[in-house]
Amino acid sequence: MAIAEIQGRPKTIFLVEDNKADIRLIEEAFKNSAMPHRMVTVRTGTDAMAYLRREGEYANAQRPDLILLDLNLPRKDGREILAEIKSDPNLRRIPVVVLTTSRNEDDIFHSYDSNVNCYITKSRNLEELFKIVKGIEEFWLQTVILPSE
Amino acid sequence: MVEIHLSVPDINLNRLEQEPIHTSGKVQPHGVIFALEEPDLKIVQVSTNTFNIFGVYPQDILGKTLEEIFDPFQIEAIKQGIASDNLDFINSSKLWARIKGDDYVVFDGVFHRNADGLLILELEPAFSQENIPFLSFYHLARTSINQLEKTANLRDFCQIIVKEVRKLTGFDRVMLYKFDEENHGDVIAEEKLESMESYLGLHYPESDIPAPARRLFSANYIRLIPDAKVKPVQLFPIENPITQQPLDLTLSILRSASPCHLEYLHNMGVASSLTISLIKDDQLWGLIACHHQTPKYVSYELRKACEFLGRVIFSELSAREETEDYDYRMKLTYIQSMLVDYMSSEENFVNGLVGREPNLLDLTNSQGAAVCFGGNCTVIGKTPTEEDLNYLVQWLQNNINEEIFYTDSLPRLYSDAEKFKEVASGLLAIPISKRNYVLWFRPEVIQTVNWGGDPNKAYETTHAEGNVRLSPRKSFELWKETVRLKSLPWKQVEIKAALELRKAIINIVLRQADELAQLAQDLERSNAELKKFAYVASHDLQEPLNQVANYVQLLEMRYRDRLDEDAQEFIGYTVEGVSLMQTLIDDVLAYSKVDMQGAEFAFTDAETALEKAIANLRGRIAESGARITRDRLPTVMADGTQLMQLFQNLVGNAIKFRSENPPEIQISAQRTEDAWVFSVKDNGIGIDPQFFERIFVIFQRLHTRDEYSGTGMGLAICKKIVECHRGRIWVESELGKGATFYFTVPVGGRDGDRRNTRKAQNYLFSRGQ
Repeated sequence: MAIAEIQGRPKTIFLVEDNKADIRLIEEAFKNSAMPHRMVTVRTGTDAMAYLRREGEYANAQRPDLILLDLNLPRKDGREILAEIKSDPNLRRIPVVVLTTSRNEDDIFHSYDSNVNCYITKSRNLEELFKIVKGIEEFWLQTVILPSE
Repeated sequence: MVEIHLSVPDINLNRLEQEPIHTSGKVQPHGVIFALEEPDLKIVQVSTNTFNIFGVYPQDILGKTLEEIFDPFQIEAIKQGIASDNLDFINSSKLWARIKGDDYVVFDGVFHRNADGLLILELEPAFSQENIPFLSFYHLARTSINQLEKTANLRDFCQIIVKEVRKLTGFDRVMLYKFDEENHGDVIAEEKLESMESYLGLHYPESDIPAPARRLFSANYIRLIPDAKVKPVQLFPIENPITQQPLDLTLSILRSASPCHLEYLHNMGVASSLTISLIKDDQLWGLIACHHQTPKYVSYELRKACEFLGRVIFSELSAREETEDYDYRMKLTYIQSMLVDYMSSEENFVNGLVGREPNLLDLTNSQGAAVCFGGNCTVIGKTPTEEDLNYLVQWLQNNINEEIFYTDSLPRLYSDAEKFKEVASGLLAIPISKRNYVLWFRPEVIQTVNWGGDPNKAYETTHAEGNVRLSPRKSFELWKETVRLKSLPWKQVEIKAALELRKAIINIVLRQADELAQLAQDLERSNAELKKFAYVASHDLQEPLNQVANYVQLLEMRYRDRLDEDAQEFIGYTVEGVSLMQTLIDDVLAYSKVDMQGAEFAFTDAETALEKAIANLRGRIAESGARITRDRLPTVMADGTQLMQLFQNLVGNAIKFRSENPPEIQISAQRTEDAWVFSVKDNGIGIDPQFFERIFVIFQRLHTRDEYSGTGMGLAICKKIVECHRGRIWVESELGKGATFYFTVPVGGRDGDRRNTRKAQNYLFSRGQ
């Protein structure tokens, strides 16, 4: 918390999610937050990697403070992105939260094997979803201490 | 065929069989033999009887060329024939040799090359000075064949051959002698002087014409012994100067017969003989044997005519013999194709072989048959007992490596078979694989065989000059033998049919194995597809549903103040519907997962599983004030998670379907012989017995959702879990009097049971090994 205040800049939340409705819902959930933040959204796996590696139109992209990653994405799916991020020396320290509908055991195992920071399933209940988003925000953006880069 | 107990030690007989007839270095004295050196045709070896024939001593002939013996103009024509390398063109050539002054002797000269490539000339005195013209051959053959066409069977055919040969040659006796599979011979046709004793129908042991003699007959189609009594003459020198070895006389027409054979003829009262080989499919099929009581010379041309006649007629005969088999062969082919059809249409091919008409017995004209497969013998007709069959199969395994085995005298090879000789003196067996056989049986048929002399005394030992010598028997009197422990022989067509069937069975067994493998592959694929579906259900179906739920809730949250009561109610129903749909998807998923997770069977403490289930239900237990009691529960072979789920659903139901009284639930377990029977007893509303079956069916509910919530999946999942453990689930209840749900878990668990199931499924494979 202290570091965020000292740095004084808004946190960048990088959302990788193909479903517009879900994007909007997560944005709505973050709107309740008092913490200054900036939300960047991409809808395909290839865009996600381009952004993180600052390629093409993303040359001036802001390095995210937190990545919210859906698993089922067009073109390049979340499992691949997770593996790429976690094996990239420049990116692997950015916390990645998988936020998905999938409760599939294989997905859970696989994600943790790829060093995901945490795996959360999207709630079917709006109030719960808001609680979860609040929890993510409080924990990953305000509680944990991350290397400053 | 019949075992012959020879009264002499085997070693002597062996020596006899190996007697090198073709290198004896002796020829019959009625002709002269020259071994020649090419190209000059210089005489390097000669028979020692030249003085008797030419009036010249052999040592005076050696080293001379043919031109020096015969007139050069005669030799000129011969040299051309030799150069063209087709000796048939110059065989036979009339050769004149001057003896004294103007005294000439005419010979039939016959050339051949022996196995060492040496050119050999043999001279026989010519009785006519002209060659028999071709037309004579033609007339002979045509007359005979015309007669042959009118005859119906093999015997009559052979009878005509001997008749024609006798007419042509004037021998006292002409016989047609046919070899059987063991090289014994039968006289199947005979023409003779009336005064002579008949040999027709007599059976001669193999040793009468031993293997070396049969080999010579196969190489040299015609053999003449004009006088069996005369002393043979030696070659001079004994060793051929070119090869440094005795001359190979295999193809010689003058070669002297073995002393033993000459003695045999003598004992039979034969002074001269002519033998013509009958060859079928490169095998010595039989002989035309001509005997004369006095010495008799037959000219080369006449011999050739006989050979020609024999060959022409015999080729006709072979064709006829094949036609005789043809109808039977066609019939067997038909039966075989029916059997293949039956086998393909039956789940177990064995039923196709024995279950219908025609069946295995018809294929080989047997009285009994057995298919021994996978340790079981399926029998049809008259067969040995199952125990005897098992021993017989063991014996076959240890002794037979061929793809077919047949005998018409099983007890001779396998002495235990004597006790079931009435059903199985004959055996035809085809191995399908190492341990699996199809067997056919034929009963004992007692036969009488007429031997031409006692076969047990085919040879005698004589002591002469201190040496033990073998000599042929002296008696050729009819010797009757009763043959036991023998069946009718298996015909070649039947053996072929059995071999064809073997191929078909192997194909079918392989194909069925293939089909099973294919089925397993298909199952694996559909299983994988089901897994994929489960994933789709868990994710892709839920995502849009969540979306509906979330946005309806957002709508309600944000616009609550602006919506009227109706709108609130509608939103309520929407949320309810979506939530039910979500539960349904979860339950269907849980149901479909039961099988997939079934792999993790282990010893599971049922108490632990129940405790976990109760822990998961603690909210509802507290809320309903339920009292749960349990007996000591056993450890069983089960999937822990599934067992927990099972208890959770049953206890959950007991709570859900409670009466006005607080629920009292009792969980017990009792051991039966092969399973544990668990029970979950409650004091709830009970179930009308008419619904006992229905409640376990997927999506079947007895109440509205207003009365009791739920998807109708709970007990269907329970049933699937129990079945996955190869157990059973059922309920006992009366309406209003509580219910008791029972389920069983087999002792040793599903694994023990699965082993048995797999064994049954793989029956075919294990039999195929």
